[in-house]
Amino acid sequence: MSRPFPYTFISCPCADTPVPDPARKRRSRESPQKQSPQKPAPRPSTSEGEKKGLAAGQQEDEDDEQTFDPRSPRSDFSLYPPEQLLYCEECHQIKCSRCITEEIVSWYCPSCLFETPSSMVRSDGNRCGRNCFNCPVCTAPLAVSTIENATGNGTQQGPWVLSCGYCLWTTLDIGIKFDKPTNIRSQLQKMTDATPPAAFDRSRQASRTLESLKHPLSSAASVEEHARDRDVDQPTPKEDPAAPPMSTDARFAALKNFYRAQIAETSNSPNDHLSSDFGFSSPGALNRLMSLYTSSSRLGGLYGGSKKAKSKPPVMREALTASEGLCIAPKNGEADIIARLASPECGWEGVASLEQRAAQSPDARFVEDLLPLPVLLRTKRAKRCKSCKHILVKPETKPQSTRFRIRLIALSYIPLPTLCPLAFSSSSSLPTMAPTPDLDSLVPLRPIHVLLTLKNHMFDPVRITLATPPVTPGRVATKVTVLSPQFEIGANSDVWDEALQGASAPLSSDSKSAGLGQRGVPEAGKVWDKGRNWTTVVLEVVPGTLPGSSAEGGDGNPETTDEDVVAVAASKKDEDVLEIPVFVHMDWDADAQLDQQNLGKSSRADDKVTRELAYWMVLGVGRIQASL
Amino acid sequence: MAGDTSPINASKRTSATSSLRHSQTTRPASPHTPQQQIRSGSTSFASNTSPSSSFRSEDDAIIFEIGARWLRAGFEGNSTPACVVGFGPEDSRRAGDYRGWIQGSAGAARLPQPIAAEEWAQSHELWRLDSREVDLGLVEDKIERAVRETYNQFLLTDAGTTRLVLVLPSLMPHPLLSSLLSTLFSRWRFSSVTLLSSATMSATAAGLRSALVVDLGWAETTATAIYEYREISTKKTTRAMKHLMQETGRLLTGLASNTEDNAGTADEISVGLAYCEEIASRFSWCKSKNYEESSNKFNQTLAIPSPANPEQEYMDVPFLRFAEPTEKVLLASGIPEHEMDDEERSLPLLVYNTLLSLPPDARGTCMARIVFVGGGSRIPGLRQRVLDEVSSMIDRHGWSPIRGKALERQRERLEQLKLSSQRASSQPEVPKGNGEAASPDTPLPDPPEIDFVEQKLRRQNRDTPVPVQGVLREIESLGPWAGASLTTTLKIRGMVEIEREKFLQHGLAGATRDIDHPVPDRRSGLRSGGDRSSWTLAGWA
Repeated sequence: MSRPFPYTFISCPCADTPVPDPARKRRSRESPQKQSPQKPAPRPSTSEGEKKGLAAGQQEDEDDEQTFDPRSPRSDFSLYPPEQLLYCEECHQIKCSRCITEEIVSWYCPSCLFETPSSMVRSDGNRCGRNCFNCPVCTAPLAVSTIENATGNGTQQGPWVLSCGYCLWTTLDIGIKFDKPTNIRSQLQKMTDATPPAAFDRSRQASRTLESLKHPLSSAASVEEHARDRDVDQPTPKEDPAAPPMSTDARFAALKNFYRAQIAETSNSPNDHLSSDFGFSSPGALNRLMSLYTSSSRLGGLYGGSKKAKSKPPVMREALTASEGLCIAPKNGEADIIARLASPECGWEGVASLEQRAAQSPDARFVEDLLPLPVLLRTKRAKRCKSCKHILVKPETKPQSTRFRIRLIALSYIPLPTLCPLAFSSSSSLPTMAPTPDLDSLVPLRPIHVLLTLKNHMFDPVRITLATPPVTPGRVATKVTVLSPQFEIGANSDVWDEALQGASAPLSSDSKSAGLGQRGVPEAGKVWDKGRNWTTVVLEVVPGTLPGSSAEGGDGNPETTDEDVVAVAASKKDEDVLEIPVFVHMDWDADAQLDQQNLGKSSRADDKVTRELAYWMVLGVGRIQASL
Repeated sequence: MAGDTSPINASKRTSATSSLRHSQTTRPASPHTPQQQIRSGSTSFASNTSPSSSFRSEDDAIIFEIGARWLRAGFEGNSTPACVVGFGPEDSRRAGDYRGWIQGSAGAARLPQPIAAEEWAQSHELWRLDSREVDLGLVEDKIERAVRETYNQFLLTDAGTTRLVLVLPSLMPHPLLSSLLSTLFSRWRFSSVTLLSSATMSATAAGLRSALVVDLGWAETTATAIYEYREISTKKTTRAMKHLMQETGRLLTGLASNTEDNAGTADEISVGLAYCEEIASRFSWCKSKNYEESSNKFNQTLAIPSPANPEQEYMDVPFLRFAEPTEKVLLASGIPEHEMDDEERSLPLLVYNTLLSLPPDARGTCMARIVFVGGGSRIPGLRQRVLDEVSSMIDRHGWSPIRGKALERQRERLEQLKLSSQRASSQPEVPKGNGEAASPDTPLPDPPEIDFVEQKLRRQNRDTPVPVQGVLREIESLGPWAGASLTTTLKIRGMVEIEREKFLQHGLAGATRDIDHPVPDRRSGLRSGGDRSSWTLAGWA
């Protein structure tokens, strides 16, 4: 059960065209039995369809016969509520989110509805750069408030905090106060990056000394001196162990600088200064430029100026100190974490949950480590058909506007299916009073009638053919019969047209008389009801029995009660939910030129084109109960 | 395993071919031969005119790390991924199915019926490594949806416009790799996909060139020895997070049934996986090696949401019990070594065996650079415990695969004869001494032999620091994703770079099997003599 009963889903036809595996294609090209891979064959729904190789050929034949199984795990990815589907007018095909491509029109913050210019999006880390924050504990939006609320009304004085109106979390819990109520994001950034600058400086210094060390113009004496310095330094590479461990960002930056420096140093060959990806701003640039004049000249080699550099290309080394990004795990560093976990003041609430940690720094473990999260930006996206690049949806750029410039939703093209159960006592004169079957507990083996109404939104009448498998796939075998599988739905003509034409319109008179006359017993081959642009047919459904339930008549196992059976069925991907796959085939005569339908060109039948569309639809009827 | 190397070190490698195929920036390894000078001249020219990737890569590449449970995605140059997306049942719902929001996510509540442990975990994984059991179509569906959602919700750029870097474990079944790549290529217009191996990237993110990367993943724990960015040995064990989760599930099921008197069978779990994972991620811990059972150190109880009814009730559980699954699953304490199958060695054994299989030089380097990554490395105390166990194993056996009573007897005899030599061989400071334990009767001279070559080398490069060798040491890594982000920012191209057209033509079958095949160097378009149409899968082949 995905929605309240009854519901309808439509399977996008793109599910029938499998992802082309080029290797598979090649293999089948080599194999003698050649199949046309272009023909969209229904995708094998279960794993058995995945056996590649020789069987592929025969399988495709069988696949054509295969009915859509709403229970297969793959169908969850191809079924959509009808209102979520789009329609491409060029390809004349239903388009789901899998068979479109998207282009971002604008970025905006869902909280403050400010549009973010595209140049700022990346630098802000895809999050709102203003004062919009979400609570790290409960994800509710945070409000900027002052600590001393009671002071004078006009001038509210800081310090300021972010506070959650839902769970009452404030940034005071993690010891953060703000000086100003504006630009909280950058203030927060400064506070959380308090340690890195030092590390940065250190690493930059280190790389600078290395640079001067390797500098070809530096005198030999200084090189020696430096080397000695390094030797002195070497025994204490761990720096001060008391220093707090670097944050992830700082370590990353340190590592990056280190690798940059290493690559620049080790690639001091004179030739590649142009092809190198590092601009002249990189620390090694000057080095390389200088070595142009020294090492490449043969004279330099003669006079031994850069003999050493020539004899051996410099070796890139690994990071050695914390300032270069190396982080040696502290001995017993996790003992205090364990102690803290075990301590009574931590408890269940003190440790961050998986969900809370998801967007936080990977080191965060306790609730105190969580930082307020700037609101993630959202986008407005234009959508194009993947195959023909036709624009399907184009929203307006402004975040405040909910309008669309172009929006080709599928419901304007395919009939909207709606489902409702038919009252038991069809003879009742008051249809509203008639008891309808409870869809949440359908009695197995007792036939019910379901009314399926298809409503046409096109300006052309549509011929529909419905097909269902006689028995639904899966372990619960429900018998389904469409009483009138072939019918026609009238055009969505102007309501006034119909009224003006009066009784001459055959459809409306038909619908009135038929509607009254047929409100009795559902009959095979007869449409139940019909209106201007809609038609209702009856489906007869005999719900199957849940395996192992008492209704099945097994009752061999007295221990399993029907509640158990229902529970088991519900846990196994809603086995007790009655879903009917229906294959819909529709064809209609459309105008050749698409845009002039409104002008009433029904006189000239020459420029009509017959179009057809076929897709699977899933009707969720109800839940089958276990007992009779 | 030697195939995948990241080209950071390309310039220093002496072999010309290897540097040619790695360095996208074409830094000549030995810039002194005239031929290479000409070549690099043309390279710089080509790089200015070639319309291909050099301009495209102005946009930041997108990095995906895909595992069995999670997808991490983000931009190059960031230290952490922008998002982590799961593949659980909540993420496989139909469009328009909002039950996860209405009734709470699946798996948070108690299961109506206990189910088998294997099936219990299955719905949460994207794939399993045994590709016979995998519905590839479903995998494709899941990947497609996860990537699409990631782009729409977190990355907020147009999908397919920038280069894509995939961080994958180096052992991937080809059907999975193929469906992953064909999904990406056929759904979006990625111009090229670069594959990077997660172990090497973990080492890179630790600032190391050689390391023993222990990846405590979902389905299996892998220990990969990396030497100069090359994977030289991999061993794996199934003692990983999935088993840990199942064991935690059994523990919680036991706790639930105690209160409810509803005994299920041994291998069935009646609590939801999401709930179980929540507990495990918060409170799993590992005892230290010298933890005394008698000490009442962690005897306090802890209130957790009751496994019988997680939504409403709390239940007191002794904190010690949360260490039980770790102890049992990952460390296999209480199970003698010979009873474990090859694929289910405990973590200390895995680390030890991987080190043992290395050549002595590499072993000495790698054992001083052990890197733990993966979800399991978050379990507090585990890493230290594994290292302690390994260290005690080295103390006991030295570097020798030989075990048994006869050896013990011989050793005792020898010990009586020569105490000093025995001591020397068992000290971990001598990483090259794997010969000693096996044949300890070759007497060692008491002052270690002075190696003249070594000394001379030392004297020569006094300014280059002596690498730490031969001690067990753990280095922290930022993780494979950060490593790939680093590597990509530094404009280093991976060895496996799959281009769209070539893949769409032939699929994985189009890759050359030739390990030494030079990767087409796109920046040197004018020069390239070799056939540029071929590409390699390197380590993934």
